[in-house]
Amino acid sequence: MSRATQTALVRDDRTAYEAAAGLAVGLSGVAFAVGLAALLDVVSIDDPVAGVELPVAFGAVLLALGASVVAFGAVSRLDYVDTGPQPSAGLVAAAAFTAIWFAVGAAVSGALGLGTVGRFGVGAALAGVGFATTAFPREDVGSTVPAGVVAALCGLALLSGVVGPGWERPLAGYNATLFGDTVVPVVVLFASLVTGWSGAKAYGGFGARGRNVGAYVLIYLVVGSILAVLVGLVAFVTAKGLPGLFNGFGLGGASLLRWPFLTNGAGLLADIAGVFPALMGTIWLVVGAVLFAVPTGVGAAVFLSEYAEQGRFTGAVEVATNGLWSTPSIVFGLFGAAFLIPRFGNQKSLIAGMLTLGFMLLPLVLITSREAILAVPDEYRDASAALGVSKWQTIRSVVLPAAIPGVTTGVILGVGRIAGETAPILLTMGGGVLPAKSAAPNVMTGFRLSTSPPFVSNPALLEATSALPYQLYALITAGLSGNIQNPQEYAWGLALTLLLVVLVFYAVGIATRYYFRRKLHQ
Amino acid sequence: MSLSTPKSDWRAGIERRLTRTREFVHDTDPEALGVVLVSMGSLLAAFVGFLLASPWTAVPLGTFLIGTGYGWARHQALVARAVTFAMTTVTLVTLGLIVVFIFAESIPAFRYETASAFGVSVPGLGMFAQARWDAVSEPVRYSLLPMIHGTVMVTTIATLVAAPLGVAAALFIAEIAPPRVRELVKPGIEILAGIPSIVYGFIGFTVINPWASDAFALNGGSTYLFVGMVVGLMALPTVVSVAEDALTSVPDVMKNGSLALGATDWQSMTSITLPAAFSGVSAAVLLGVGRAIGETMAATVMLAGVPRISEPLVNVFYGYETLTSLIARGYGSANGVHESALFAAGVVLFVTVLCLSVASQYIEARMRRRLGGAE
Repeated sequence: MSRATQTALVRDDRTAYEAAAGLAVGLSGVAFAVGLAALLDVVSIDDPVAGVELPVAFGAVLLALGASVVAFGAVSRLDYVDTGPQPSAGLVAAAAFTAIWFAVGAAVSGALGLGTVGRFGVGAALAGVGFATTAFPREDVGSTVPAGVVAALCGLALLSGVVGPGWERPLAGYNATLFGDTVVPVVVLFASLVTGWSGAKAYGGFGARGRNVGAYVLIYLVVGSILAVLVGLVAFVTAKGLPGLFNGFGLGGASLLRWPFLTNGAGLLADIAGVFPALMGTIWLVVGAVLFAVPTGVGAAVFLSEYAEQGRFTGAVEVATNGLWSTPSIVFGLFGAAFLIPRFGNQKSLIAGMLTLGFMLLPLVLITSREAILAVPDEYRDASAALGVSKWQTIRSVVLPAAIPGVTTGVILGVGRIAGETAPILLTMGGGVLPAKSAAPNVMTGFRLSTSPPFVSNPALLEATSALPYQLYALITAGLSGNIQNPQEYAWGLALTLLLVVLVFYAVGIATRYYFRRKLHQ
Repeated sequence: MSLSTPKSDWRAGIERRLTRTREFVHDTDPEALGVVLVSMGSLLAAFVGFLLASPWTAVPLGTFLIGTGYGWARHQALVARAVTFAMTTVTLVTLGLIVVFIFAESIPAFRYETASAFGVSVPGLGMFAQARWDAVSEPVRYSLLPMIHGTVMVTTIATLVAAPLGVAAALFIAEIAPPRVRELVKPGIEILAGIPSIVYGFIGFTVINPWASDAFALNGGSTYLFVGMVVGLMALPTVVSVAEDALTSVPDVMKNGSLALGATDWQSMTSITLPAAFSGVSAAVLLGVGRAIGETMAATVMLAGVPRISEPLVNVFYGYETLTSLIARGYGSANGVHESALFAAGVVLFVTVLCLSVASQYIEARMRRRLGGAE
């Protein structure tokens, strides 16, 4: 096309247009953020903004956005500015607007009191109109007019008060009611998404560049909201859990550090109820699972990548490993209950939990170790072999040390994952809802030797033991009540403790990876 | 050569293997061989002893430890090879044990729910041919249909959340983000995978359920809608990381060729990278679906726990029970056929997810072959 000869310098006439489109995108972003805040009840929908109610303000903004988006299309179509639209907006956009207009038609005719057939008919008719206006005209019209009209309709509905704070609509047969408080923010979120995308396309001058900008705006929005959810979740649990976690916390005094929530049990003797037994249970669980899974997984990875010839056996192991990796945790729990519990004293026990989690950890360790060993360059092995070193010596003193960073990272991340697992230990390990301090497992001093089989025993391993995730579950099923002062605060403190334990594992694992990667690139 | 039948091929293979074994035995130090045989034999004996729940299991286990320790000191190379081989078989053995034990425990329930179709009585048909689950009052029936319906509802909503968001985020990390932003976003999404499901469930139980009950004027706050969204959030990191691997494995030459022709980044992504990585991305979505099906704790805590099919079928405002939450809630208080029926639910879960896993591996292998990459 002739655009190939144009450079940015000769597109001066578009700056005002670009600025207007950029403004529309920015305004859509603001509307999206405020709509999200209203949905999450951060901003009340009844609050007046600059003298008008929030829904009315939303309506005005959406109407303006819709009108300006249509105007962008018209200005471009009438060649007042130099853009590079393609003959059609494309099938993906056409499909999206067909669906959107179908929904609009169905919702509006439903609100007017039409039956199912009527709703379907109106929806289908509008869907056809939406498809035609998107797919058939040139791209600058096709990707602005349907979008702008939708947003303007939403804006009109809010502005005229058809949908507002007091609005409600029972869903016949669903036994549920839609209220203005939820519908208004959802409408705003949806309409601002549409205008944001359309405005971004106009900003890019339609065509390939416009699509690029439009898609990037949506993707940045998605990633931004995922990160916002993550930060919001962690911040929320932290804010709710801090009072419980630091209840009675103090520095100095008789003992250097007093942290009753982590060092107390929950019995009658403890003045401040704590999670010590569950914390110890989680620590021992992790230790047991690591002792079982890490040597096994690393050994298997060594055999698969260094000794075994690629064939049916390695293929089967690979399929089995990936199958185990994706097996639901509750199935591991069932397996532990059916296989391990009858073999360890016929009751829920710490060791059954350890081994069940070990089985879950095994595929994670195996997959990551194998990747780490395969990533060791073959030159290392060849150099060692050229020096006359035997195969096993090469593995032990060349391959494994070089693979240790990857293996360590994999193990730490895997441990972080199993430390928070609830379903398997729910079925295999059990424990009390609010265990006293004496219920904490005492594995180290528990080993007993005897002359009759099985010769070695450890009662601590054979007892039902609580762990952090299980205790949280048990508290929830007990209705967040119990024989302690403030069960709500206790439960949130427990959730924060669990989250911190897991996040510390993840932080250490990710930090290790960066540390080793930086060392490698030096 | 073309005359050789499969049978003679097979025989030749055995013979070749026998000769190789004979050579190996001949070449190896007899003492080392003996040590390895003793240690492997005792390991096998310990495994059999454990399977039979024999109190004498400790004896062969001790023999194995002593034998391996002695061998480690004297004939490290051979013992290491044998021990790592034994460790490799652990995954196969585990998967086999899971299959055997879960299926064995579920047999009584399948037998109880025998129903006849076209005059042939099929065990387990009753679980899928009627919709009543009631373990207490007569008639006692164990239909899995209500729970399958719940699982399908939750998984569908979760996939609608996780698949588009996950693929978009994977595109962002693999193609769009500048390096410094990537170093921030990637660990962030990994951490999202680390948040324990019970913490999600706890937030759902204490915050989302009451909010939903209020916002939609529901009887109780359990909804498939919000359980599905929470589960989708949990399946998201799986989709992102697998899809990102697939996208980065597309050779740069292909993308560079497209960019050199003047295509925009987005054009290169949609017409080169995504089609080339399509199998990998769909494998990622399949694995995400598997994760969503198997997600337990959030569903258990947030759902009502009543085995019932919602009316109308697509009513997302009420949530009753999924396969996973049925097991988590019912195990422990159940016994007899009821417990066995929980194992039957586990069988359905396990088989479904295993099929998804195998399918996604097949798709991924096909993609690797097509891209002509390593392996």
